[in-house]
Amino acid sequence: MRRLSKIAVVAVVASLALTGCGKNNDKTGNDGKSNANQDVCKTAKGDGPKVGLAYDVGGRGDQSFNDSAYAGLKKAVEDLKATCVTGEAADGEAESARETRLKDMADAGLNPIIGVGFAYSDAVNAVAPNYPNINFGVIDGFDPDTKPNANVAYLGFAENEGSYLVGAAAALKSKTGQIGFVGGVHNDLIKKFEAGYVAGAKSVKADIKVDVKYIEETDLSGFGDPAGGKAAAAAEYQAGADVVYHAAGASGSGVFEAAADAGDGKWAIGVDSDQYLTAPANEQPHILTSMLKRVDVATFNMIKSVSDGQPLTSYQTYDLAHDGVGYSTSGGFVDDIKSQLDDLAAKIKSGEIKVPVKP
Amino acid sequence: MSAAATETPTGGIVVRDILKQFPGVVANHDVNLTIRPATVHALIGENGAGKSTLMKILYGVQKPDGGTIEVDGRPVHFSSPTDAIKVGIGMVFQHFMLADNLTVLENVVLGAEKLFGIGEKARAEIQRISNAYGFGLDPDVLVEGLGVGQRQRVEILKVLYRGAKIIILDEPTAVLVPQEVDALFVNLRELRNSGHSVLFISHKLDEVLAIADDITVMRRGETVGEADPKTATKKQLAELMVGSELPSPETEESTVTDHVLLDLNDVGLVDENDRALLSKISFQIHRGEVLGIAGVEGNGQEELVETIMGMRKGTGTIQLDGKDIASWDTRDRREAGIGFIPADRHRHGLLLDAPLWENRVLGHQTRKPSSNGFLIAAGDAKSDTERIVSEYDVRTPSITTHARALSGGNQQKLIVGREMSGDPVLLIASHPTRGVDVGAQAAIWDHIKRARREGLAVLLISADLDELIGLSDTIEVILRGELVGRFDPRTVTPQDLGEAMTGGKS
Amino acid sequence: MNGPSVNGTKVLRTLAQALLAPLIAVVVSVIVTSIVVVIAGASVSDFWNVILTVPSHRNLVNITNQSSMLFLAALAAAIGFRMNLFNIGVEGQYAVGAFVGAVVAGTGFFPGKLNVVAAVLAAMVAGALWAGIAGLLKVTRGVSEVISTIMLNAIAGTLIGYLLNNHGQQYGQGRRTTPIPESSQLAGWTPWDAVDGSIWTLTILAVLAGLTMSFVISRTRFGFDLRATGQNENAAIASGVKVKRMVLISMLISGAIAGLVWMPALFGQADYYGPPFQHQLGFTGIAVALLGRNRPLGIAFGAVLFAWLSEQANPLALVADISPSIVQITQGVVVLAVVVAYEVVRRWMAAHEQRELKVALGAEARA
Repeated sequence: MRRLSKIAVVAVVASLALTGCGKNNDKTGNDGKSNANQDVCKTAKGDGPKVGLAYDVGGRGDQSFNDSAYAGLKKAVEDLKATCVTGEAADGEAESARETRLKDMADAGLNPIIGVGFAYSDAVNAVAPNYPNINFGVIDGFDPDTKPNANVAYLGFAENEGSYLVGAAAALKSKTGQIGFVGGVHNDLIKKFEAGYVAGAKSVKADIKVDVKYIEETDLSGFGDPAGGKAAAAAEYQAGADVVYHAAGASGSGVFEAAADAGDGKWAIGVDSDQYLTAPANEQPHILTSMLKRVDVATFNMIKSVSDGQPLTSYQTYDLAHDGVGYSTSGGFVDDIKSQLDDLAAKIKSGEIKVPVKP
Repeated sequence: MSAAATETPTGGIVVRDILKQFPGVVANHDVNLTIRPATVHALIGENGAGKSTLMKILYGVQKPDGGTIEVDGRPVHFSSPTDAIKVGIGMVFQHFMLADNLTVLENVVLGAEKLFGIGEKARAEIQRISNAYGFGLDPDVLVEGLGVGQRQRVEILKVLYRGAKIIILDEPTAVLVPQEVDALFVNLRELRNSGHSVLFISHKLDEVLAIADDITVMRRGETVGEADPKTATKKQLAELMVGSELPSPETEESTVTDHVLLDLNDVGLVDENDRALLSKISFQIHRGEVLGIAGVEGNGQEELVETIMGMRKGTGTIQLDGKDIASWDTRDRREAGIGFIPADRHRHGLLLDAPLWENRVLGHQTRKPSSNGFLIAAGDAKSDTERIVSEYDVRTPSITTHARALSGGNQQKLIVGREMSGDPVLLIASHPTRGVDVGAQAAIWDHIKRARREGLAVLLISADLDELIGLSDTIEVILRGELVGRFDPRTVTPQDLGEAMTGGKS
Repeated sequence: MNGPSVNGTKVLRTLAQALLAPLIAVVVSVIVTSIVVVIAGASVSDFWNVILTVPSHRNLVNITNQSSMLFLAALAAAIGFRMNLFNIGVEGQYAVGAFVGAVVAGTGFFPGKLNVVAAVLAAMVAGALWAGIAGLLKVTRGVSEVISTIMLNAIAGTLIGYLLNNHGQQYGQGRRTTPIPESSQLAGWTPWDAVDGSIWTLTILAVLAGLTMSFVISRTRFGFDLRATGQNENAAIASGVKVKRMVLISMLISGAIAGLVWMPALFGQADYYGPPFQHQLGFTGIAVALLGRNRPLGIAFGAVLFAWLSEQANPLALVADISPSIVQITQGVVVLAVVVAYEVVRRWMAAHEQRELKVALGAEARA
């Protein structure tokens, strides 16, 4: 009896450890995208570029980053007659697993191969020299060493600029004078979102209070943890914030839940793609806007460049001026302040406003 | 009393040809038993004779593989104890199932709330039962404040409260001192007079002859005979039980020397709340002497043993052969030659899921032949286990058999053999023959006598007063953690000891 | 008493126990996993086709490397489990060990290979100390190691993040520790083409640790005390085992082994602690320990099985378009199936042994 219960405890702990992270993927994979269920790669039969797309943790259906990349891929299938093969990162996977994914794609003759997310930077850097005839792209990527790679494009975004605009929107809409920010992982990339958001908010209301929380310090599971996102956002609403912006990937669904739970007059701001469109009906009235990070544009451009025979290489920055970032207007909640936001956007484009990259 | 006397006697049980098989073992076969209404029926037999199995079948815990049970002439089939209670069969286990921090009332109504509620009606019913049979229980006292005899009466009350007409008592006197036994018998006679039937399970023949109206004897899983207590003698019953006369624990002439081997001086022990568990314990054991400790269980015997073994840290001085060992840990003490037969061999004496030879190593990890420096000497340990198995007659197919598979007696013989290895100077034997069969009991007694002859000092703790009187050179009585009396076993009677064990005439 | 028939049945029983439980577990896992695959809407034949295909060269290399780390993580957990100590904190302990090891290696204070030795020792000490906190809390304050190690996991993550963010080297969008000098990197062994990768030099740590612990647990006094404490703590105390000391020592050993977990990857591939660090090995290690029933050999099989399944997750997505999450479910199913199968077989065997004993003694009594 005692022995059995002991075993049961361990088994439960172990299975929690094993499945704890997997469930997020499944959950986000199911709601609000019934029409998008069919992967375009299954039916694509064109004679255009053969694209390899390696998703980050969460995969297609995260309603955020990965889905945005998928949108770009879909556009390429439609406009460029591309065909595609996709892979997906597992939670807590080895660096070697990412490399293997890319190598397998390269061996299959795919070109270009795009890694979605900065976590692919090292893997691409390690793999690319072995396949000089194939072009690689890394969304949010960077070159980890000093040896330049002639066949790799690092597709970066001026997230600080987009965040600046939604920060301004948050400050304009806030009645309590207090707003919040939930980051997935406390790294320099997400700090860039924070910096822009805070600067944008202070530009319209200098004395506004901004609550900043991160789900994880270094563990990338912070991007796939809706429960963690919900806890962080709920705490901020409780402390008096009435607008919370998340830069936490799939964890963001928890932030939206928290906003809906917090009640009328509480707003959440989405990230990467227009999250109003994919949110459940009860959360939609709480999604003020989304900071658009046009991963789809970057993905499409990368594919197109290869298709055109002039592959992108080195660092590419998608900023406000290049339509790489922006904000969404679905739901119409920011219509009344749109002119103010567009003013700010113009000033950033012209260089009149310099948005910081560090908090 | 008046209420009870008006009830007509019902509650007869007839058991015919019960068969119960466990995988590969026949636990009960050809079991026939007739309990007449309003009688005390004794079921006797040595440990392992199949009494517990029969009892579990009667109480619906296990289903028989064959045979019939009739209650008041109607055949019954039990699939759970609930069914047994429905036809009026109740059971009092040897180990009480009471919640200490609840009152008598709460313990009684727990699980039977539907009968009389949990309020005044229930209290009145408890009071009525208590008065009718002379239990003298107050429904509102906490169980933790009750003595063993009173707790047993609460258990019986629980069964009566649920409407039992037939009460099964599993070795009810094992935990009682003689005076409490007498009180229990008074209660049982009251129950019988009011029309209840009692199935009284025991192996103490004096008691059986004193209380029973009918006696059924079991041996090797079957009922081997019936006896009339008016005419039967102890000798006859014993022969029915074991097929031969019971062995006696009596020891030979004194071998006590004047060499003090164990010397306790003012030993005390407190629990985490600073309540005294032991206080002012002082005694000496000489080489060749058996010191017996008598006492009702739970009066500090375990704590005393564990303090001497170094498993608990007390105050005062403990000297072993002139050396102060109070600051030594258990392993040092064992290495210095203390052998230890624990009261609960499953809890303190064995690794049940380890082979016998590893159990041989237990407690001897640091000594030859079990180990060699930092390594376990499996080869030597195994051959020494073979020696123990043959010298101590441990019945096992092999030394790689797991300890769990052995019967209680054989497990105990293995422990005795182990603890007598490595030239001990002091043997602490706590309830050494508890739960072992008559054959093993005699063997263990012989080993203790031999240890005494060989000049060991022996500390013997037992609930069996015959065993204590038979084996000891001196008997100390322990009560509430203090030694309250010293007796010479040649002159003392069980009644004297019982009186001292309960703190005088009460 | 020890006739040939007894020995014969004994061999048979050992063989049955050795084969029966795994067999039941495999059958149950295959059935349950297939059902899950069907529910997930994927093709069962595709799934097993991919999973059972002989892995490609690079996957074989990865399986070897991953197995070594999983083995170490599981071994660390198993040490505690053997004495009923539920060290759920291997996750935090190996992270701390990995971080400290990477920092020490990064300083390059010692030259060349000596640097490797210093870093490995530092990682072991760091892991041991981190686990030791939980051990100390248990023996001095009675805090359950389950609770304290889970807490320490969270603290480890936060602490490492803080140190990295404030003292780490800028590295793209993240931070990392200073990479180890080239003289300390260990090339490993490349069985096939360079593009298929190499088997890391320090996978040997898993072999060494496995052999050492196997010997310590089954042959030494310490191992006996550890097992005795796990089987019956009270009996161990009565036999003279100082249980508190055992708790502390086994937590320290467990943590030291946890500290080794990431060392193969550090010197073979990563060169620094940073964003690509592989999390979750500690938790997966618990599952592998269960799978291997806390025996080094069993753990080795379990580690290879888990690594195999994880590696095949990649082709699963590429070839069969099945989400890699299915593999995690499969791993969970395997663990549960093994735990249940072994318990069932153990009970069956215990009943069988009892029966055999009765028969043997009965025959003796009649003779």
